[in-house]
Amino acid sequence: MKRRSVLAMGFLLLGLGLSQVGPFKARLEAAIKESGEEFARVMLSQDRGQALCTQYRDKIPADLMPKFLEEQKALIKYPADGKLLGDWKNGEEVFTDPKRGNCYACHQGVADEVAYGTMGPSLLNYGARGQSEAVVRYTYEKIYNAWAFVPCSLMYRGGVHGLFTPEETADLVAFLLDPESPINRR
Amino acid sequence: MKRIYLLSSLALLGLGALFAYTQGQKPLDPFEEAMRQRQMYLETFGILPGELFAEEGKELFYRKGPSGNTLEACDFGKGPGVLEGVYAILPKYFPDSKKVEDLESRVYTCMQTVQGFKPEEIKRDEVRAITTYIASFSSKAKIQVVPKHPAELAMYNLGRELWYTRAGARDMSCAVCHDQYAGQRVRLSPVRSPKQGLGNEWPAYRFEADKLYTMEDRIDFCYESIAIPKPESYSEVHVALTLYMLAEATKAGHSFEELPFFTR
Repeated sequence: MKRRSVLAMGFLLLGLGLSQVGPFKARLEAAIKESGEEFARVMLSQDRGQALCTQYRDKIPADLMPKFLEEQKALIKYPADGKLLGDWKNGEEVFTDPKRGNCYACHQGVADEVAYGTMGPSLLNYGARGQSEAVVRYTYEKIYNAWAFVPCSLMYRGGVHGLFTPEETADLVAFLLDPESPINRR
Repeated sequence: MKRIYLLSSLALLGLGALFAYTQGQKPLDPFEEAMRQRQMYLETFGILPGELFAEEGKELFYRKGPSGNTLEACDFGKGPGVLEGVYAILPKYFPDSKKVEDLESRVYTCMQTVQGFKPEEIKRDEVRAITTYIASFSSKAKIQVVPKHPAELAMYNLGRELWYTRAGARDMSCAVCHDQYAGQRVRLSPVRSPKQGLGNEWPAYRFEADKLYTMEDRIDFCYESIAIPKPESYSEVHVALTLYMLAEATKAGHSFEELPFFTR
């Protein structure tokens, strides 16, 4: 009789334990909440992609990869007129603006800008790739949502987060691909 | 008064230098440039801006609070009154407050519990100056942050999780730049990892900003530059991240720079 009640108690405790949110997660959330309302608002509103990248330390397991890429691809929006090549002059402004593209943080661009970061590949002469439909589409989608190609990359999903609009994305594409753009002129 | 005069002339000099610096054609090595600036300050004024903050911190350290105590009565980790090397072992767990605290939160705690100030009476700039003063006793000291107490281990784990958390409109985390791309530059700023000693230069005077930055200020600056609003001062997030970074720097055998440091 006594044994049975001990067993029952054990099951009860086990069930209770399994039904709890991980104590570590709860502790983390509490620490974030206590560290400021604005801070918590952003830190605790991760989308699915951000949560997965955090969970897997930026290395998505192979079996989750197809679904991850598919979900990210679905987030890409296109300009209403369907044109993926816009105005390079406005593209340069979006590229340079720290609040929008902020691309010089990581990439080399126009040759006379010397204060560029080195975390991303140089984009000098990006236009050498030509303007085939495939190049234009890839460039557009990569800029709009880099995670649709490289999950958890440092390159952020500027289009997804609305840092620039689909039209501005097309302008960025033009800045990279237009032969007249200073990024392609020596 | 003397300090205000000195600081404003320093600021003017800094602005001129900054102008010359940004007009240059070639990207300069920012640390080389900082060392050049430091030399110029020393030759022109015979004193570094950081030292003025430390000096102010010293005055505040020996100022009596409402309860009649100075901060000499506060235990910063090696017993009341001991300042030598304490910055190098923080953050750590303090039984009296039952919290893991970095130097800044410890100063904030003691100004209340030991000196009797109300939280709203404590000015952030004063804590900055006192922190700078105390940290100057750990100049070039070997970093010795080794979490042992359960609360310290929990804080380390919290810090590590925050380190990898990707959030905000720029999809960033600390790790994605400071681990994966350590050794590269964001614009002209070199980015280091904790294993390369990240965190060993604060508190520091940044000539580009003409301001003194503590470790918490520097964490805030990072968060704001990746579109995440900064956490409140003395928060667990600051303590956890600081503990994580300095524990990693400890494992790699790093020491602090000359504190307060002089940087870009």
